[in-house]
Amino acid sequence: MKKILNINSWLFILLLSLSINAQDNKLLIQSKLNGRVVDEVTNEPIIGASVSIKGITHGVVTDIDGKFYFQTGQKFPYTIIISYIGYKKKEVYVDGSPVLVELKPDVQELGELVVVGYGKQSKKDITGSVVSVPKENLSRVTASADNLLRGAVSGVVVTQSSGSPGASSSVRIRGGSSITAGNEPLYVVDGILIYNDNSNASAGVANAGASVNVLSTISPGDIESIEVLKDASATAIYGSRGANGVIIITTKKGTKGQDNISYQGYVGFQKITKKLDLLNASEWASLRNDVQASIGQAPSFSAAQIEELKTSGGYDWQSAAFRTAPVQNHQLSFSGGDERSRYAVSAGFFDQEGIVLGTDFRRISLRANFERNYSENFKFGVNTNYSNSISNGLANRTATSNRNPNALTTLIYQPPVVPIYNADGSYNLSNNPYATAVNNIIPNPINDLENTVNETKIDRILASLFGEYKFNKDLTAKVAVSGDVINTKQNYYAPATTEAGAATKGFASVGNRLVSSVLNENTINYNTRFGDNHKFSALGGYTLQYTQGEVVNAGANTFVNDNNEFNALQDGVPVKPYSDAFESVLKSWLARVNYSYKGKYNLTLSARADGSSRFGSKSLWGYFPSAGFSWNIIDEDFAKNLKGVDDIKLRLSAGTTGNQEIGNYLALSSIGSVNYSFGGTIQTGLAPTRLANPDLKWEKTTQYNAGLDVSFLDRRVNLVFDAYYKKTSDLLISVPVPLISGYASVLQNIGGVENKGIEIGLNTENIKTDGFSWNSNIVFSANKNKVTEIGNGIDQFFPIVPNSTLLQQQPVTVKVGLPLGTFWGYKSDGIFQTQEEVNTQPKINSLANTKVGDRRYVDTNGDGVITATDKVSLGTSQPKFVASFSNTVVYHDFDLNFSFQGSYGGKIFNALKQQLEISTLGTNASTALLDRWTPANPSNEIPRATSSPLGIVTERYVEDASFLRLKTITLGYTLPKGIASKIGTKNIKVYVSAENLFTWTKYTGFDPEVSTFEQNNLYPGIDIGSYPNSKTFLTGINVTF
Amino acid sequence: MKKIFIVFILSAALFVSCTELEVTPTSFTTTENLFKTQDDAVASVTAVYASLTLDPGEQTLFGRNLYFLTDMASDYAAAGVSATNPQVRALSSLTHDATSDRVQVAWRQIYAGINRANVAIDNIPKVSGNEVIKTRLINEAKFIRGLLYFQAVRLWGGVPIVLHEPTSIAVESLKSRRATVDEVYTQIIKDLTDAESLPATYGSADLGRATSGAAKSILVKVYLTRKDWPNTILKAREVINGGYGYALFENFADAFERTKENGKEHIFSAQFEPNQAGNGASGNNFPATSFTGFTATEPADIISDVALFYDIYAAGDTRRDASYMKQLFNPATGTLYTFPKPLFKKYIDFSNLNARGNTGVNFPIIRYADVLLSLAEAINESDGATLEAHELVNQIRRRAFAKPISTPDVTVDLVGRTQVQLREAIREERKKEFVQEGQRWFDLVRWGTLVSEVKKVTAKNSVSERNNLFPIPQSERNIDPIGLPQNDGY
Repeated sequence: MKKILNINSWLFILLLSLSINAQDNKLLIQSKLNGRVVDEVTNEPIIGASVSIKGITHGVVTDIDGKFYFQTGQKFPYTIIISYIGYKKKEVYVDGSPVLVELKPDVQELGELVVVGYGKQSKKDITGSVVSVPKENLSRVTASADNLLRGAVSGVVVTQSSGSPGASSSVRIRGGSSITAGNEPLYVVDGILIYNDNSNASAGVANAGASVNVLSTISPGDIESIEVLKDASATAIYGSRGANGVIIITTKKGTKGQDNISYQGYVGFQKITKKLDLLNASEWASLRNDVQASIGQAPSFSAAQIEELKTSGGYDWQSAAFRTAPVQNHQLSFSGGDERSRYAVSAGFFDQEGIVLGTDFRRISLRANFERNYSENFKFGVNTNYSNSISNGLANRTATSNRNPNALTTLIYQPPVVPIYNADGSYNLSNNPYATAVNNIIPNPINDLENTVNETKIDRILASLFGEYKFNKDLTAKVAVSGDVINTKQNYYAPATTEAGAATKGFASVGNRLVSSVLNENTINYNTRFGDNHKFSALGGYTLQYTQGEVVNAGANTFVNDNNEFNALQDGVPVKPYSDAFESVLKSWLARVNYSYKGKYNLTLSARADGSSRFGSKSLWGYFPSAGFSWNIIDEDFAKNLKGVDDIKLRLSAGTTGNQEIGNYLALSSIGSVNYSFGGTIQTGLAPTRLANPDLKWEKTTQYNAGLDVSFLDRRVNLVFDAYYKKTSDLLISVPVPLISGYASVLQNIGGVENKGIEIGLNTENIKTDGFSWNSNIVFSANKNKVTEIGNGIDQFFPIVPNSTLLQQQPVTVKVGLPLGTFWGYKSDGIFQTQEEVNTQPKINSLANTKVGDRRYVDTNGDGVITATDKVSLGTSQPKFVASFSNTVVYHDFDLNFSFQGSYGGKIFNALKQQLEISTLGTNASTALLDRWTPANPSNEIPRATSSPLGIVTERYVEDASFLRLKTITLGYTLPKGIASKIGTKNIKVYVSAENLFTWTKYTGFDPEVSTFEQNNLYPGIDIGSYPNSKTFLTGINVTF
Repeated sequence: MKKIFIVFILSAALFVSCTELEVTPTSFTTTENLFKTQDDAVASVTAVYASLTLDPGEQTLFGRNLYFLTDMASDYAAAGVSATNPQVRALSSLTHDATSDRVQVAWRQIYAGINRANVAIDNIPKVSGNEVIKTRLINEAKFIRGLLYFQAVRLWGGVPIVLHEPTSIAVESLKSRRATVDEVYTQIIKDLTDAESLPATYGSADLGRATSGAAKSILVKVYLTRKDWPNTILKAREVINGGYGYALFENFADAFERTKENGKEHIFSAQFEPNQAGNGASGNNFPATSFTGFTATEPADIISDVALFYDIYAAGDTRRDASYMKQLFNPATGTLYTFPKPLFKKYIDFSNLNARGNTGVNFPIIRYADVLLSLAEAINESDGATLEAHELVNQIRRRAFAKPISTPDVTVDLVGRTQVQLREAIREERKKEFVQEGQRWFDLVRWGTLVSEVKKVTAKNSVSERNNLFPIPQSERNIDPIGLPQNDGY
């Protein structure tokens, strides 16, 4: 980190001194001075230090070897002043050449430079809440860049939606501030503004399943630094995209000096963390008998058959689907630079098989960063990244099969008495009396997994070109043009033997989505000092972003055979094709002023005006101001006496940011196509589908932040504490309107959400001796989220979950006073044990045939009957707090990194468990049903076996998702320099690593980190059969030549 | 050096200059841009019809959703094991309340169709085009609007009357108070009377559109429901003698045969087509929910009581085996499969037993048989059990027993019945004739026998007088509690 920071500051000094140089005068040459500037501690040369003669303006800077040279009209002796950021300024009296100057690092002044929006700032001057991801996290082994944020920074919660290779995560900074619009943070990758909209990776191909993470297209190995901007002072410069926080990713750049070649690679394997406890063959047979008995039918299995199944054991469908899957990653990088140019190029290859059959992810990435000082005043550069990724997702079932949305859940439901294979080793596609044949095929989920093609290919180009011109030492202008192109192709083929293809004799679908975004940013920067006490800088700019997208997909079914899969739609019967196009424009004016008095009092004012095409004609423009103040208390006289305290800083900020992630054109009315048949021919009709809302405007988040940074014990203990309050108003909500209008809802700016919380980052150097050190980093964040208003006098609504099994149960609600993602259902109260209880106690009104052995629910409103009004809050998916504890232990050449991550207080609606505890005649069930109520086993927990497949939301299925996990552990060994250089390398490190090694949780599903509906805000934390998480074991090597 | 930078700036500026904040969508039309040509007018009316058969993501109005109210909440139909929606089961046991999602969806679908009709009626006058066609299109929209209000007024009583498209998104402006039952009927009669001037027939490409005969036939049902016997008789005679060419199919089962769609007995049907939504989904859900395949698992839609509704057909009555199937030939095994209970049969497409979610069997909204029985009922109620009333019922019976329809036949004809007896006979015929046709609940309510008849089915003994109307959806009352008072008992 320090190295790159120095280089950046070097560039700054270089430009500064060049402009000083430009004022060169024509003095007589009276003396020549050669000198060299080095670091007092390391003896390394200091590059770019400025050297000037006291009393006159003449100055030079040191070169790559720390050397400088003067020709001056002054005669010896004179005093030279040497300064460099991060070092104490030094005056040296010289009376001859050459001279060696040793500079002492200034721990206080050093205060890292931190990347902020549209620039960099000294950490000391910063007023906002900006946190860098620790280096240890950046070197973590992972498939996707968003995983690097996990447990790294307080206030950031990363939740993976499934364990599928390349799958998406949802990232929340300080809670979700929106109900229906996007809640993901804004990413700024090398100056390119990106909203991580996973829908950009979907062409809408039927059955394509879980979406692919757009961020997975960036190779984690290319990332140099990640900064997280959390409060309004830091994010308001991003205006309408700042409300959910900003994550700035900087990729690796070349440095002046030697050329480096490095290789980083690892290989490893992944395993399933756990399997679900399901009934075995004999247990299932007796359950089926009980179900049959409950509807007055004869038993299906005789006692002898059940005995026989006990010995034969049946078939384990889960084991057939899971495998030990390899993963590998290789990255080769070249970097370096000379006096005027710097470069970094890299190529990466990542290949991961999924732990479920038929799933994988592969990525090839190429990067080239180049920068050149064209002249003293002008420099330009280019950053380009290309990536190509291919993922194969889980085979999905037909859209209507919502109880088991994918082949994985189908196999979980598969009765254990049904064979997986025929005697000849082929898939069993007929011998299953518990399912209905479709075109003589009884689908086999293992066959579905193996043979369904569900492929997403993404090509992405991220490129930016910038030029920077320095008018004088104070004034710099920068123009940048960048592009982000995502081209997604999806291919789907369900062969005629699969669930999704059987009815139609094969089903193929292909689709393409091309989204391109062009961004032009023009900024001007002014930095100056008045006297010794006043530091002033200003930033102004105009930016314009234009995004357009096109989507097309087409499909066909009824193929003669499966030979051509999705590549010959013309051989089948076409289904209705689809195409769509959209464009959006965002224009912005931005400004920021920083003022610092004596380095003690710092003020930041920023503002952005955004004009977005997504909003109503009456409110195209939004204005987002912020103010931040920080006070370096340690510099006050009264603080000088504080023993052992090295730094105290107070930060305060307030400001407004916005959210424009609502999708395109929603302010306009729209006509949709429908159809009707006349004379047997389908004809297209046009019907209004949306009312116009010319007043549609920005969601507005007002945020207040108070922070305290404290360091003590020689900076071995560093504490960062933040408290914040975020109030979001004008929330975009599809407000229900009277249905008699012909419309169900209208998108309006009604409603509010508030988030408040605290964040703690504690970095400690526990042990520091020669050859042995131990550093720890503790990150803690607690956020409280509350819906404050949803408009139109309504205080509660039930989001429409896109799954009919869940839709009917309405498991989640949005209710004023409760957090988003609140689960809503009945409280259960044991089991009806006697007919008298059944006769006299409240029952669910729609279950007319309640019997002894059925579950009893609490009549919370005491009206004698269980209706929807008896439902209560069963908790929220939002955790009370999340925390992580990361450690780095170094013993001579060995280093050990391990990181624990935990989450407390969140819930998950385990819909899969609910479905598995429903006894039906045709599907397997949870081992919980072994304890089912029977007259002989009067369970008060598990109801009797029935054939009625009703799922009811009750607290049993809203499970505690708290967990503690040993997320990563890595043991590395760095070869001694001598040995490394003997074999022609600069550095060699080998390591072994494990991910998700241990997880402690009460959650009974595959994994407590799950969200079937991915980034959605309205119904997060539902598990209806997601791809399970895996344990990963790796061994790797990093070599620098 | 500055020059280089200025060139850089200029090229960047050129790159991005031509952009405006107000973007025009290219993949859809805004409402303001529709209604320019006659084709737009035609498409807007096609959308009005589509409200009967299409609602992506939901069961469609005539494809099954109304069935929950008009059949499952009556006596003969019930929710089978495969019906997983508790709200459907609640309707089956008549324990539903105002939060019933099925009731809400029906309300929404009906008013969505009314709005589409309003949009067409408001805007078609401004398009350029043939005035005759424009008038016809407006009258078609009025026919559907009248038909939908007729469903609404019977299901909920006085409902809000909305006759124009909304012009603002302000919630207050979108509200409307419940009108009286009489006001709603006045509007229905007005719309349907206008629709009487529709063409009597269409060319083959337009088969399925509303005709003047359809308008008169729905008016027959309107007057019958209002117990306006003279007007019922008047309109029914216009349908029968108006030269429309309506007649009963000789074979009862033909009324549900795909190849006989829009035949002589079909006065107006909801037109279903396979693959109607274009992506494998379909408007007609009955085939999938009435038949789950060759398995003992009960489908979602089943007969409630075999003794009360299946065993009642006399020997030789072809309607039993056209309405129910106890056995079905399984082409996969080559054997006859016997179901534990008879299953509903009318909408099964036997040409495509596998793809049950995607069939094209039409739903008859009004058949000629209904006009005949309505006329018989009106005559019997106003003039007593006349010979004509007997003859009308007998035509239905002769066809049911596969006898020549116009030839008196002593083996099946009813003769010399009293008014009370004939009334009972008409009711029995309607019960056997209109299985799964969205008639039963309306009939029982009209006759005032809902509670007594439904109570005969044990699982439905929660029925009470409140069930003569459905509740106003709670979600609707949340928005407008004052303008939409709840029906009694909910």
